Amino acid sequence: MAEVKLKDYAQITRPQNFEEIMLLADRLQGKTVKMVNSTKDGGGVAEMLHRVVPLFNELGLNMKWETIEGNAEFFDATKAFHNALHGKEVEITKEMFKVHNEVNDLNAKKMTFNEDIVVIHDPQPVGLIQMKDKSPAKWVWRCHIDTATPHPQVWKHLEQYITKYDASIFSAPSFAKQLPIPQVMIYPAIDPFAEKNRILTKAEIDSVRQKFDLPNDKPIITQVSRFDYLKDPIGVFETYKLVKKHHDCVFVYAGGAASDDPEGTAVLNELQERAAGDKDFRILLLPPFSDFDINGLQRASTIVMQKSLKEGFGLTVTEALWKKKPVIAGAVGGIPLQVINNFTGMLVHSVEGAAYKIRYLLNNPEVGERMGEYGHEHVREKFLLTRNMRNYLLLFLSLQHPGESVIEI
Amino acid sequence: MTTRAKKPFRFYTTSSLVEITGQKAYHLKDFIKLLKTIDSSCIFYHIHHSFREYTFAPGQYSNDFARWVEEDLEEARLAERLASIDVSEFTDLETLRAKLVEFVEDHLMSAVEIRKAAPGREFYFLRGTSIITPTRYEVNTLDEFTSALEKVGMRSLYFHFFDARLRLGRKTNDFSNWIRQELGEPEIAVKINKLDPYFITMDQLKQEIIALCQKKDIKMKAKGLLGFIKNIAGNK
Repeated sequence: MAEVKLKDYAQITRPQNFEEIMLLADRLQGKTVKMVNSTKDGGGVAEMLHRVVPLFNELGLNMKWETIEGNAEFFDATKAFHNALHGKEVEITKEMFKVHNEVNDLNAKKMTFNEDIVVIHDPQPVGLIQMKDKSPAKWVWRCHIDTATPHPQVWKHLEQYITKYDASIFSAPSFAKQLPIPQVMIYPAIDPFAEKNRILTKAEIDSVRQKFDLPNDKPIITQVSRFDYLKDPIGVFETYKLVKKHHDCVFVYAGGAASDDPEGTAVLNELQERAAGDKDFRILLLPPFSDFDINGLQRASTIVMQKSLKEGFGLTVTEALWKKKPVIAGAVGGIPLQVINNFTGMLVHSVEGAAYKIRYLLNNPEVGERMGEYGHEHVREKFLLTRNMRNYLLLFLSLQHPGESVIEI
Repeated sequence: MTTRAKKPFRFYTTSSLVEITGQKAYHLKDFIKLLKTIDSSCIFYHIHHSFREYTFAPGQYSNDFARWVEEDLEEARLAERLASIDVSEFTDLETLRAKLVEFVEDHLMSAVEIRKAAPGREFYFLRGTSIITPTRYEVNTLDEFTSALEKVGMRSLYFHFFDARLRLGRKTNDFSNWIRQELGEPEIAVKINKLDPYFITMDQLKQEIIALCQKKDIKMKAKGLLGFIKNIAGNK
């Protein structure tokens, strides 16, 4: 990941928001903070930490990032926890809880926590809180997972640790629970300099178009999603059939293929079967690390869809809005926070609604263009990495004033 | 001659850390129970927070209660009434709460059905922790004031324009107060206080205040919101 400096973000963030970050950071000069997660490679959390830790240090905080060590059995258990917290049906055994506890105990013995603030990310290292009594730090647990309908036993296991923290962070109100500690809300955010979001040249966008054999003389409507019924891939295909009656266009459904996801394979097979022989409905199977291709596909699109039936936050919507694309999306989860109906896109509740709104935008491209502009500004204000950093700074400041609702500094 | 204030005006800014209470309402009967008892900081948050943020949809209901009732319960009449609550008319949160309760109770008295929000679209009560910091801008004259106002963020504008009413418990804002008392410009003070922030963006509000101080007539709205956004983007 190429190093991006604060001055680069200053070019993108609204100036007043950037100045506010500097103002808040000024009050936290020299504060020591430790971030802890389970891996330096792969996944959204590691990607975010790779970026923000140097930025926080540039701001004058003294931030370190450490990871815990675990064996295959531990990571199998925490992967099962992750899926169970998402509400998937997975087998959870007592042995898994035991392994989780043991690995946390071992790591706790090896690590030190002499900082002012410790932020523990996700369930894997949650048990490090056992070191709180031997540490001067304020402890924060950051949950990046959709825990709206968690597996009760897994939640109960984690709760015994979570309640010992000074504060917790969740990504949406529906993910939070009734807890005796403060639950702060920090929406997810995108990094405008990440490979998935950086500005691409026309030649780069064309290269992606050519790679996937997409036309440059027809509108392209794209949905980037897993092959999961909750993302409504069949609904996207049905939408395509309705739109195609009136417009010569191409629909793209681009998703990753996970070999260990039998449901995903079944969904993919069904979609392929339905769309067989339909040359303008393209199903793209993207390998891991396809960020450049996803960026190119979104930028080559006329409209982006996210016809989800259930959604966590919906970062693919954020990505599309940032690329100035009008978004037609289901009014579920975090999508209505991003798609302000008729301003940054259109919210729909059915296949028919999606097709109708797409036809409207294809007939009125200037409306789509305006929505794209609004969407870009909406993300600039609310869903960029810098907003995430501002929230962290606010949280760090508030930890010094527990229980106060107005803090003057 | 330029009037110089005896007491300078310091711009402050306020940021909000949002806290999830864990309390949620599926329908208006749950909602009113919580509305009556919930911490007043929740009422403050849901009524005010949209003014702190840059908005692209002026005209959209500015408070979360009205939006939820319209979008998720599809009770248009109640939504309109809740949206009509003008924050500038309230100087304390309990009076504001009582007004909200009155509107919802009125609705429930005549409601033929109690509509339930779809799963995941319940109303989640949130509250904000306000963190107030002084900015580096301190001014003594009207010229210095407009020049600093151009530079400060919308959360500073929010702090002095909206938050001041509840903080000071009086029906005015910090700008009007200082301009009247320190600069002896009551006419400008009154005009600023009369600005209607409900249907313009915070950036437009800022430009209108600056224009009033400079005694210029601006037609911001005539330029259209998109042109305005492009203008802002171009200025970065």
